[in-house]
Amino acid sequence: MLEVKEVSCSYGRTVALDGMSFEVPRGRVVGFLGPNGAGKTTAMRTVFGLVAVTSGQVLWEGHAVGRPDLRLFGYMPEERGLYPTMKVADQLVYLAELHGLGPRDAATAAGHWMERLGIAERAGSKVEALSLGNQQRAQLAAALVHRPELLVLDEPFSGLDPVGIDTMSEVLRQEAARGAAVLFSSHQLDLVEHVCQDVVIVDRGRRVVAGSVEDLARGEHPVLEVRVTDDPAGTWAGRLQGAGTVLGNDRGTLRVMVAPGRSQDVLEAARAGGEVELFAYSRRHLSEVFRQAVGQVAR
Amino acid sequence: MSADRNLTWLVARREVRERAKARSFTVSTLLLLVAVAVGVVLPALLSSKPAPMHVGLVGRQPAAGDVVHQAARLTGVTAAVVHEPDLLTARRDLHDGRVAVVFVPGHEVLLERLPSSTDRSSASYLVASALAELDGERALLAKLPPQVAASVEKGASLPVRGLAHSTPGPSLRAELTGFVAAILIYSLLLSYGMRLSTSAHEEKASRVVEVVLAAVRPSQLLLGKVLGTGLLFGAQILAMLVVALGAGEASGSPVVQGGAPGVIAVAAVCLVVGYAFYCTAFAAAGAMVTRQADLFNVTLPLQIPLFLGYIAADTSTFAGTSLFGKVLAFLPPTAPVVDPALYASGDLALWQFLVSAAICAAGVAAVAWLASVVYARSVLQAGPRVRLRAILARQTA
Repeated sequence: MLEVKEVSCSYGRTVALDGMSFEVPRGRVVGFLGPNGAGKTTAMRTVFGLVAVTSGQVLWEGHAVGRPDLRLFGYMPEERGLYPTMKVADQLVYLAELHGLGPRDAATAAGHWMERLGIAERAGSKVEALSLGNQQRAQLAAALVHRPELLVLDEPFSGLDPVGIDTMSEVLRQEAARGAAVLFSSHQLDLVEHVCQDVVIVDRGRRVVAGSVEDLARGEHPVLEVRVTDDPAGTWAGRLQGAGTVLGNDRGTLRVMVAPGRSQDVLEAARAGGEVELFAYSRRHLSEVFRQAVGQVAR
Repeated sequence: MSADRNLTWLVARREVRERAKARSFTVSTLLLLVAVAVGVVLPALLSSKPAPMHVGLVGRQPAAGDVVHQAARLTGVTAAVVHEPDLLTARRDLHDGRVAVVFVPGHEVLLERLPSSTDRSSASYLVASALAELDGERALLAKLPPQVAASVEKGASLPVRGLAHSTPGPSLRAELTGFVAAILIYSLLLSYGMRLSTSAHEEKASRVVEVVLAAVRPSQLLLGKVLGTGLLFGAQILAMLVVALGAGEASGSPVVQGGAPGVIAVAAVCLVVGYAFYCTAFAAAGAMVTRQADLFNVTLPLQIPLFLGYIAADTSTFAGTSLFGKVLAFLPPTAPVVDPALYASGDLALWQFLVSAAICAAGVAAVAWLASVVYARSVLQAGPRVRLRAILARQTA
């Protein structure tokens, strides 16, 4: 298991991480969420010692991450990092060897991942000659080629077409299923909800929410979906008076997080606005959890 | 092989493979080899019909002119006899360069300056030696009965003297070799230094360094790059040497055949020391910038001492060595370029060169340490150019 414990670091006077803590257990896919500048990339870089931390610890299987551990990790940086003029296959073999594989195993693993990710026919192409999507696939192959025990991926889905997203999602699930710990950041919340078992939401260099997707969707407070005839703007919500908080308005259907024991008050407020077409309990969307966590709840 | 050394070797192997595969490397190597071949062969072609060597002849002894022509033929040159009225005039002509050798039959052979014991391949010395031998033999044979003369293979030879009795100066060929070596060292160090800068900068700019440094230490990456590039450097030098020797042998070029072995050995040491001194520094400089446009500026402080060394070598060869030039011969940033020229011109003794090499070795160690610190602390830092002062004040990741 990867444990990031109370890690802090700064870039000059800018605090990037302020006591950041989270965990990535083996066998789980953990989504790493947060607004731009929240410290996601910096936190991921601390795992690999690419950022100098001022306090805190990064642990792998209970001990501080050392050089031998790093060779067991796979990393896909946000700003893609491959040699532009090196052939894809050569590059994968090189990176596999750097992570400890022998020449034959490295070549076999490179071939396997190029085949698996659909870039086998571009094995002899230079990276700079690939499309953005194929570069992304090559980058993922570079992170996976040495069969890592921890996979850290910064925005792995950006730039991928739907087929690529499906492939990438499947690969991440399979890696977790074979026992790897998988951490990836993304702004595509629906995708995270679909792929991950756990989520860590960070803001201003700190963790603000963490838990399983299931628990977060259930939430502490129930969510109601309410639709009132002839009130697509949801003006009736003005009468809630503390009975609930509007999370969003989906084409006239308001999603309301209900205060403890105030469901009837919400129903009364809706009725006062007109005929109630829909009044039903619902799961919280991850986007709602995210907005609430980073202090951007819809009003 | 330990894991650490293995990682360094993997990095070095990638450098060798990728750089050697690059078209630019192939083209530059071919151009260099052609330039070396042309540089070696051209002097031989230009001197294929040499002007006759003027030999001053003192006195009117019969057949003395024949001896001059015979000596010239034996040494592969043509000679023009200049009849001198007296020895005083002959010595003045010799000093002023109007004649290359003065022949006083039965007495002596004079040169402007006697060559050193390690470099006696100049044409004038060879002719003078041949004259001395032939005239000595002729004199002896004239005094002996014919049957005894027939059995004499060699007679006593005349003394060969120099007008200047001080320490013999360097040969022009040795000086030429030293100067050519200085040019080559300057160009190669600059070329390979910039290659290392560009390579380190590209890794940083493409962010691939983040992926690589997740597996290897910065010092291993730096060492691997320097080692790999150094292997290519060595291979290119070796190829140039083979072409130079081959072309020199085939054409009889004075550049190669006259080049003093001592000067070539000094140049070889300087090349190795110079690469060791500059390679890590150039790589670290490349890691300090993200924009390619900043590469020239960040490497300028390294280019300046190299250029200064080249200027000092040039001045030493063509206008004599100043005190400033002698000082530069002992400073690690300039010594690798200056030393071959100064050694060739006789302004740097062997022991002085050894002292200079020892100072350079210490300089190599210091620069390697500083460069590895700078590289480790700047290669992962994105954004604008990193300042050296800021790097040294900061802790590494």
